[in-house]
Amino acid sequence: MAKKGGFEKRSKASEEIPSSSLADIAFLLLIFFMVSTVFPSDRERPINWPEAGAAQKTDEKKKNILNVWIQKDGNLYINDQQYQMDEVSQVVAPLYAQSERALVISIRGDRDTPYHYMDALQKELVAAGVVRVVFATKLEQRMQRERR
Amino acid sequence: MAVLNKKKSRVSDEIPTSSMADIAFLLLIFFLVTTVFPKDKGLSLVLPEPGEEQAISQKNILHLIIQPNGVVDVKRGESQQIQHMRPAEIEGLWRQEVASNPNLIAAVKTHPDAPYRMMVEVLDALKLANAERISLQILEN
Repeated sequence: MAKKGGFEKRSKASEEIPSSSLADIAFLLLIFFMVSTVFPSDRERPINWPEAGAAQKTDEKKKNILNVWIQKDGNLYINDQQYQMDEVSQVVAPLYAQSERALVISIRGDRDTPYHYMDALQKELVAAGVVRVVFATKLEQRMQRERR
Repeated sequence: MAVLNKKKSRVSDEIPTSSMADIAFLLLIFFLVTTVFPKDKGLSLVLPEPGEEQAISQKNILHLIIQPNGVVDVKRGESQQIQHMRPAEIEGLWRQEVASNPNLIAAVKTHPDAPYRMMVEVLDALKLANAERISLQILEN
């Protein structure tokens, strides 16, 4: 809108897009995703891990790893559910077939579990046809190894 | 005169906030890159398939019998001699033994009441010594 003979008044509105709130938007997005992300994982059981210096990362996709927890008293958990030892092969076999024979069992045993539980579990897994297992451990620190 | 001609400062009196978003994103990317999810660690092993058991001549077997108190009884295939060892000594033993007999198989026999960590220690020692052929069994009386 031009005025006759006068000076054209400058608009008071800034010509720039207000960008000061962009950071807030970014943080809001970040927080939204943090809150809404759910990791599909079973709950950790309270066990004392055994330690091993030769422990290696499991070279398998997370969805192909099935955790089997064994507590000190022989209680056995798969996917947050407790099972009896002789049910394991029936539980694992269909999961193994579902994974197209790529399933790896991560045996998470308490360090003080009597070995006959571990042996029974291994026999169950063999009966289910699953042969690839990982004995999950904590990585032993060098210092401890030298002290021993 | 000097006072009259004093120009208004061109510097904005606001704190520049346009780069705040960039800082936020940089932080975000930094944490994205540096975050490592704790991956499972462990000793991997392939169990024998059902019915895959094969007879192995006694002279190729190194028996490692784990007692509940953590002592490992080492017995070489045919001989009846028993040597008591600590799990930490197994690594050196295996390296020696496998050098003289490359076909050697480690038969780890654990006592039913021995804690799991004893077996893990022995298995760990064998893995550290790059043993490939390991058989896990339970000690039968």
